[in-house]
Amino acid sequence: MKRIVELIINGEPRDMTVDSCRSLLDALRDDVGLTGTKKGCDVGDCGACTVIVDGEPVNACLMLAVEAEGRTVETIEGLQPGVDVLHPLQDAFMRYGASQCGFCTPGILMMAKKLLDDNPRPTDEDIRFGLSGNICRCTGYTKIFDAIKAAAIEMEAARS
Amino acid sequence: MRRFEYHRADTLEQASRLLTDLGDDTFLFNGGTDLLVEIRERLRRVRHVVDIKQIPGLSDITYDETRGLTFGALVTVGRLENLALVRQRYPNLRAAFASLGSIQVRNRATVVGNVCRASPSADTIPPLIADGAFIHIYSRTNMRVVPLAEFFTGPGKTVLAKGEIVTGITVPPAGDNAGKAYLKHGRRKAMELSTVGVAVSLTMEDGLCNDIRIALGAVGATVLRAPEAEAMLRGTALDAVTVKNAADKAMEECTPISNVRASADYRRDMVGVLTGRAIKQALEAFA
Amino acid sequence: MNMTTPIEKREFKIVGKSVRRDDVLEKVTGEAEYTGDVKLSGMLHGKIKRAAIAHARIKSIDVSKALAYPGVKAVLTHENVPRVLHYGSPHPRSASCTKDQFILDDRVRFWGEGVAAVAAISEEIADEALDLIEVEYEPLPAVFEPEDAAQPGAPLIHEVGPGGNLVLDPVRINRGDVEAGFAQADFVLEGTFSGGRPHPAYMEPNVCIADWDGSNKLTFWTSTQTSFMVRGILAEVLGLPLTKVRVLVDHMGGGFGAKQDLFQHEFLCALLAKETRRPVKMEFTRHETFVAGRSRHPCKIWLKQGFKNDGTLVARDMKLVYDSGAYGSHGPGVTIVGTTAATSLYRCENVRLEGRCVYTNTPINGAFRGYGVVQSYYALDIQMDEAAERLGMDPAELKLKNVVRAGDIAPSGHPILGHGLEICLQHGIDVLDWKKLRNRDRTPDPRHPHMRTGWGIGCEMHGSSAYPGIKEQGNATVKVNEDGTVTLLTGAAGLGTGAHTALAQIVGEELGVRFEDVGTIHGDTDVVPWDIGAFASHTTYLVGTAAKMAAGKVRAAVLDRAAMKLQVSAAEIDLSEGKVFVIGDPGRCMTVAEAMGPSRGIPAANIVANGTYEPTKSYSFAAHFAEVHVDTETGIVEVKRVIPVHDVGRVIHPIAAQGQIEGGIQQGIGHTLTEDYIIDKKTGRSLNAGLVDYKMPLSMDMPDIETIILEAAPDPGGPWGAKGVGEDPIIAIGPAIANAIHDAIGVRFHHYPITPEDILKALREKGA
Ligand SMILES: Cc1cc2nc3c(=O)[nH]c(=O)nc-3n(C[C@@H](O)[C@@H](O)[C@H](O)COP(=O)(O)OP(=O)(O)OC[C@H]3O[C@@H](n4cnc5c(N)ncnc54)[C@H](O)[C@@H]3O)c2cc1C
Ligand code: FES
Ligand code: FES
Repeated sequence: MKRIVELIINGEPRDMTVDSCRSLLDALRDDVGLTGTKKGCDVGDCGACTVIVDGEPVNACLMLAVEAEGRTVETIEGLQPGVDVLHPLQDAFMRYGASQCGFCTPGILMMAKKLLDDNPRPTDEDIRFGLSGNICRCTGYTKIFDAIKAAAIEMEAARS
Repeated sequence: MRRFEYHRADTLEQASRLLTDLGDDTFLFNGGTDLLVEIRERLRRVRHVVDIKQIPGLSDITYDETRGLTFGALVTVGRLENLALVRQRYPNLRAAFASLGSIQVRNRATVVGNVCRASPSADTIPPLIADGAFIHIYSRTNMRVVPLAEFFTGPGKTVLAKGEIVTGITVPPAGDNAGKAYLKHGRRKAMELSTVGVAVSLTMEDGLCNDIRIALGAVGATVLRAPEAEAMLRGTALDAVTVKNAADKAMEECTPISNVRASADYRRDMVGVLTGRAIKQALEAFA
Repeated sequence: MNMTTPIEKREFKIVGKSVRRDDVLEKVTGEAEYTGDVKLSGMLHGKIKRAAIAHARIKSIDVSKALAYPGVKAVLTHENVPRVLHYGSPHPRSASCTKDQFILDDRVRFWGEGVAAVAAISEEIADEALDLIEVEYEPLPAVFEPEDAAQPGAPLIHEVGPGGNLVLDPVRINRGDVEAGFAQADFVLEGTFSGGRPHPAYMEPNVCIADWDGSNKLTFWTSTQTSFMVRGILAEVLGLPLTKVRVLVDHMGGGFGAKQDLFQHEFLCALLAKETRRPVKMEFTRHETFVAGRSRHPCKIWLKQGFKNDGTLVARDMKLVYDSGAYGSHGPGVTIVGTTAATSLYRCENVRLEGRCVYTNTPINGAFRGYGVVQSYYALDIQMDEAAERLGMDPAELKLKNVVRAGDIAPSGHPILGHGLEICLQHGIDVLDWKKLRNRDRTPDPRHPHMRTGWGIGCEMHGSSAYPGIKEQGNATVKVNEDGTVTLLTGAAGLGTGAHTALAQIVGEELGVRFEDVGTIHGDTDVVPWDIGAFASHTTYLVGTAAKMAAGKVRAAVLDRAAMKLQVSAAEIDLSEGKVFVIGDPGRCMTVAEAMGPSRGIPAANIVANGTYEPTKSYSFAAHFAEVHVDTETGIVEVKRVIPVHDVGRVIHPIAAQGQIEGGIQQGIGHTLTEDYIIDKKTGRSLNAGLVDYKMPLSMDMPDIETIILEAAPDPGGPWGAKGVGEDPIIAIGPAIANAIHDAIGVRFHHYPITPEDILKALREKGA
């Protein structure tokens, strides 16, 4: 059965008409056309589909689109603060080589954003723990850790 | 993925009715982290899901010194994991919560869902059993409260009858003389389903072990207690030799199987190692 | 910590700098379009029905219910697809492959093989329709282990090929006189080694989209490393000229070698689209990436080597058996490369090698980073460690003594021009103060009495390019636009390694323009020059040189044109950072734009050049130093620190090179300790085809990696001496870990993955 779901995506009120068994991930990708969020497994194992719903990161593949009714969803397409302005994390990911094939990148960036929002001065352990639900098969994570640390320092400096 | 119908219940009664009326392939849909995976991987035939997340009153967390910690069916693992009270009073639960899946999964997964899925390797069950938790069950005719240790009847099987719904879980209060630990064994440090999980909850008085419960995950059809090992430990000072002997006894008491994650022998070995380590860790509360 | 020791002193403007990659802005904003992101109107979804039996003949297949199911548009079975025998690994220039695949056959050779395909208006409907297809099988006896498959009288999996379930005739290599070598030996070491079935587990599941237009032309989007091979085989099997098949691939979510096969779903997708006259998309589930993807060949190795008491290696006798799975795919290539590699690494004059590759009724094994060499060098390096132990020598010392050196013949049979292994090894020894590490206090930490620490070294070398197995060819086209910007056309795939950036750097450097002014066009077989595919660590070396050649040609043309405009001779001017100037009189200058543009009645220039390069091969080298902690009660091994020391010749993009090394180490740690795609030995069913039970190291499992790249031994065949780096790290890390485990607990392991159970069992046996 199809249902109309009203929600806010990246700050904009949207509605989507979806089959009630569709995942939020499929709805975002196919029905809304926001393909930045990736599907690496469809069963919660890889984190490529990480989006932020009402402030909390979740696997969009493990949530039904109908459950997003009335909620706020943030995806990679909304991470940039302005048209030509990048989030410090995006900038750091480019400079530090934290993105190779890039398939994990949107999910990791959303996770990292949440991590730094909650914890502006994360330790190495905090970063490793924060990313434990996001598989990156290309980078060995080293450069991802470096980029997040660098972005944290830059964001801290910008605040003070 | 096969299609299924989604229903949203506003009351327990409505949910319960849908469960009985829609037929056998109908399941409660809570966090969905088990159910959706089972549907996608074709492990379970599902025609209808009944979402209970709109039902009021199932999201509360309360604590008092006599009754202990009570949380509703919709409370996520992530919410409990980050509660100061849980960190301070229930380090065993905290360890189990923080080891379940990923942050993303924990933001959706509920503890009640983890319990109701009744997997022998579920991480939250061993510490809840070791703590003597109770489970609250709604049915259209009556409410009942069941000790968690009596809730499971086999892998994936519980005492729940058709139409019954778990509304919450109560964990007895954690006294100052209590020591608790949960150790999960896997090959990675995160995103692991336990190969073995060992929970120990104990109380000490005047240097002697007053009471101890040991619960073993992933080494039997359900989470197991180790009654003989516990008996060997009660009334002792939990000295190294006694603990070693009891850990050996726990190895005898478990009934593991071999699968792709580990062999039965290895699981048994780990019960020995982790039981000893968990007791040691539980005692650190008194150090 | 990153250290770069320069070789030839030369001022580079772009090369050697970690410029911003041309593909990453899109990746961090989510705009990068991967194959699965493409959506066409009216697109159908295809799904494959997979056999739940390992070996069988299809007696009957009934699709009537599936066809009648609402929303289903087409169903294909072996009865209605073209029956064309074809290669699985599409390397037209490799002589070693056997055609052994049909698109769909009336035979099932492994559990999970596709037997039918459905196209429907939604993925869900297609999936539901699969259940309505009724297949009746006549089960055939199945074999799951190469030993069993190689027995006389074993059930035959293919009628083609050399027979006896061999994928190719045994590869035999003899150098010197092995018997005479053993006769000189003071002692002999003999052992058997084995490797599991690691899976590449790239994050983007295989996906393709097929669309036929009114002129019967197929446009095909697919996540592949070898788009021209896909075009070639699709055209051959579909009976089309190459002008009627266009393959597109923009961004790719990894491949690691495995996406250089031609997969069953790719043919089926094209045929479903043809049948329905609508675009069709086929996307693997994660489960399918295991079952229908490609893994590393499991391998059994017998290795016997003779040594003299001074550590000299005098004889090597080695037999390798690779498990191909149900089809040949890259089995021939892997067997040849893995076997011939064993002529080298540690010098030995008397060598006898025999490599076999055997069909089994298991999922197909294919190309994967380290291509057969991961297996053979695991054995060679560990046995060298054992020899050191036997001699009472420091393994570092023995390895230093025996590593290949200048003048030695490469596995490919030609002399290696840039030799870096000795330098890498020595550098690591010095940086780590290895002697001190070995003589460290080994008393266990009283707080963790069950913990032991160990250090180990693993060495490797690996060729860039598949020469001589494949005569490779790299191509590039460079155009200079009238505003002075430059367009590079390349067929090299963008797996995520940053290859296009490296190529653009090379073009910019050679031509003398700014990096920002070089744009790259790739991923469209109708537009870019033919490319052999992204594999064998060769893109920078091979296509890089072609790009440099093309850039050199356009540079000369630009200089000619500027000379005419400046009214000097071309020899008097130079070009740098987009400016042409008179040597010795830099005031007399013009921009490339001015040189190119129209002026005084002269039309704008059209400058285009091709570069074609047919190389032999360069070798890159690495020595990895790894520290492990072993919990002697649980058997858990943790890799704590890795110091990889690599020689990759000239480094074009330092961060990208480091990234390759770090990612390779992650995969190699997985191979060695936790990753193994397990096939049930009774049924052939996959037991862990998912990302929870197939255990890759994740963020919390990764050690600290301190990458050291030495520009020690450039190869003149690569651009400014650049060599490959993609595959090297995954080869060296395995033996480093195994040797470190030995150092920690005194137990040798000859296999991977080394599981906690293995550790406990070995400790018990040792204690007993
Ligand atoms: C990637 C991933 C990693 C995971 N890792 C772990 C791990 O490390 N350890 C671990 O233990 N688990 C793990 N899990 C499983 C864990 O997420 C679930 O067990 C979760 O806790 C279930 O809760 P849920 O709310 O999502 O349940 P659902 O999926 O909504 O439900 C689970 C089952 O319980 C039933 N149910 C739910 N609520 C009720 C109720 N109130 N009354 C009666 N029946 C009910 C449902 O019908 C269903 O059968 C993992 C899952 C994923 C996807
Ligand atoms: S796609 Fe959702 S976690 Fe992998
Ligand atoms: S960059 Fe490829 S998976 Fe992370």
